[in-house]
Amino acid sequence: MAETTMGSAGARPTLFLRNATGLVKAWSTFDAFVYSFWSVNLITLGLYGMSFAYTVPNGQLLAAILIFGLLTTFLVGTYAMLVSVMPRTGGDYAWQSRVLGGGLGFVLSITGWWFTLFLWAPIYANILVVQFFSPLAYTLGWTNVATFFTSQNGIFVSCLIVLAFVSVVVTLGMEVYARIQKICFWIGLVGLAVTCALLLFASQSDFQNAFNREATSLFGAPANAYQATIDAASKTFSGQDFGYFAFGPIFLLLPWLAFYLLWPNWGATLYGEVRGAKDIRKPFWSMFWGLWVTVALVALVMILIVKTMGWNFYQSANAAYWNNLFAVQGAVAPPVPIWPYPVMFAGWLVDNHLFQALLILVMGLWFFGWAGTLFLSSTRVIFAAAFDRVLPAWAANISAKRRVPYGSLILMIVPSVVISAVYAYRPTFTSVFLDATAVLALTFFATVVAAIILPWRRKDLYDASPIARYKIAGVPLITVVGVITGLFLLFMLYQWSFNGDNLYGTSFQKTPNSVYYFLATYIVAVVIYVSARIYRSRQGIDLRRIHHEIPVE
Amino acid sequence: MPRVFFATDLHGSEMCWRKFLNAAKFYDADVLICGGDMTGKAMIPIVEENGHYTVTIASERQVVGGDQVADIENQIRRKGYYPLHVTPARLQELDQDADVRKATFQQIMLDGVRRWMNMAAEKLRGSGVRIFVCPGNDDEMEVDDVVRESDMVELGEGRMVEIDGFTMISTGWSNHTPWNTHREETEEKLGERIEAMARQISDQSRAIFNLHCPPFRSGLDEAPAIDADLKLLHGGRALRPVGSTAVKEAIEKHQPLLSLHGHIHESKGAVKLGKTLSINPGSAYEEGMLMAAIINLDAKKGIKSYQLVNG
Repeated sequence: MAETTMGSAGARPTLFLRNATGLVKAWSTFDAFVYSFWSVNLITLGLYGMSFAYTVPNGQLLAAILIFGLLTTFLVGTYAMLVSVMPRTGGDYAWQSRVLGGGLGFVLSITGWWFTLFLWAPIYANILVVQFFSPLAYTLGWTNVATFFTSQNGIFVSCLIVLAFVSVVVTLGMEVYARIQKICFWIGLVGLAVTCALLLFASQSDFQNAFNREATSLFGAPANAYQATIDAASKTFSGQDFGYFAFGPIFLLLPWLAFYLLWPNWGATLYGEVRGAKDIRKPFWSMFWGLWVTVALVALVMILIVKTMGWNFYQSANAAYWNNLFAVQGAVAPPVPIWPYPVMFAGWLVDNHLFQALLILVMGLWFFGWAGTLFLSSTRVIFAAAFDRVLPAWAANISAKRRVPYGSLILMIVPSVVISAVYAYRPTFTSVFLDATAVLALTFFATVVAAIILPWRRKDLYDASPIARYKIAGVPLITVVGVITGLFLLFMLYQWSFNGDNLYGTSFQKTPNSVYYFLATYIVAVVIYVSARIYRSRQGIDLRRIHHEIPVE
Repeated sequence: MPRVFFATDLHGSEMCWRKFLNAAKFYDADVLICGGDMTGKAMIPIVEENGHYTVTIASERQVVGGDQVADIENQIRRKGYYPLHVTPARLQELDQDADVRKATFQQIMLDGVRRWMNMAAEKLRGSGVRIFVCPGNDDEMEVDDVVRESDMVELGEGRMVEIDGFTMISTGWSNHTPWNTHREETEEKLGERIEAMARQISDQSRAIFNLHCPPFRSGLDEAPAIDADLKLLHGGRALRPVGSTAVKEAIEKHQPLLSLHGHIHESKGAVKLGKTLSINPGSAYEEGMLMAAIINLDAKKGIKSYQLVNG
């Protein structure tokens, strides 16, 4: 009884706490930072996403990254404040349902966190191929293996590998995977440090010589593959100067950067489960540092690429690879026919294939420490919807022995296999996958709208929360921060949907498949909700009352 | 047939208790069951000095006049804490003397429970609604006596009660926790406690087990993993099953129609364990939100339907 007295040192006690269940000490901000840091993965998503930056003429990437970091900080603030107001309720689904209404919350979050995540499995698989299987196989001289993974069957197999890996992680549980993540984190950082050191201490001529040597050795490219890469790209790409600065193109780069930098809040669905999340500082700082440490590391890697590889070469290599792959008119095959993986290129500075393979393996931990959480948030959303009786009860079933959430896993894995097959065997659907970022951004936007109106829609919750005292000119801080975040997201949603040059491959006018697919997902979500309402109503269950607040007086 | 409204782990939140009582009318419930851990975890001193009152809520220090004290008290109660009026001298005494602190805490807690019992009587007397309370492991034993004094609220602990053709047994005892709370015992003893009640039930297909602690590895018992220093591991993302094997065995052996649990606030859910529907509605008392389960019982079907709500 009355085990603890709290108060500032030397001051009067302000609270007497008794011994009671659940009074735990707060989680480490570092642990949560690691999760956030993985979510905006600099190597996997980062290098992959930035390899499309060449599509924006005169886009100054470094400035764009800094601006993106600044704007995403408002997103972090919005989510941290939501966690602070409703700490235990499970992220986007619960926030949207409780503020915007059950039906809207279901449709928006289920499309974002369930249906859209099907699309991310092939994206993860493609990253696994271009950053792990393919470079590793080429380095070890296993050309047949490398080419297999670029075939349709190989792409599909890599999708199945990702889905199997994700299923194993879900089965093992987060406690085991969190340990694996930490090991991957530290070893991956050592790999990154080695990569940066190689780029730092080599000159551009060292790199050109190394590139030309390995291009010939591993790929049978003719002499001076470095210049040949730039020449190949020049058929469809006008080149880029890192020093050029123009404001407009910087903003056009933001939707590309969203591919990896928009997710520091990925774990927000999980923060809701921890005590101590009421304290706004911890979720905020863990997401903030996850974002900004990544921004700083990206800046470092980019500067080193500029210094040692040459910016125009790097962007040319990206342009030559993607334009050839997407069969852009006039494109020719580059002499090194694989995705320009800066880690592999840095490894070539050491004339030893075993070292190069080891570096790729170590940097592969950035994938394996990250990819396991692909469906983690999805399974939580499915659970929440099942508990709300919108989905059948079996969706939340867990096997008795191994604690495997097989209901939600089936709901994720089976459609993902189908979507993966479409990705592998029907290239005309590529734009659908490019839209995967946009749909998640739309889900975030709905959450942000919920945050903006929270002080009025759920006055009771807001007034009782620690953020109620934060105001700017009398306007609740969560509203101000939410409006800025909302404008940022709206800008990107507009560009994805209506960019006249179809810069992101997702413009409505140019990609009807994509429009039909996503319309279909929203329609399916509406149909599921309406059907559930009718079906449950016959059972005497009114789904509307799930989030209706009971009067207090 | 009865509609049961079950909520648990209110931990002193007066807002949740008021909602609990109002749920009878709001959801047309015939029976209200509070599954345990009613009492709060902290008391907050309101220090009277020179005609002003000083209080710190959520790290924010406030100095208010007498006319604002009632509002401050409501804010404190809403969070599940107990407001405590003190002078600076009394505050110092509480700070320095653990025995005084203990006695004061118990007194203020029991006063709080008594206040809740009175509210129940005022709100629901004559309504025909039955209210059951079964104190949980965080509630001191003396809480039972206060509940027994009520002529409106029925104490569940250790009893077998009839509810319109269904039989309910209850206990708020749990297996051991790292916090060494008031109603903890070994799995063996907990098993004996449950078995002593369960074996008296003649028809398990009409039985309700109201057991505060959830069954082990049921999905209703997953709490954030902590280390020996009670620090959350892996950013709070790692979950571990911490339920009771005795509760699990009792459910597996007797296969009651329904089992109601709480204790683990984060582990909201409803699962089938053989023939038994097991429910933990979770708890978000500190938000003032009443997480609960509505169960429509039926003479033929047993459970006609159920729903988890955030009221």
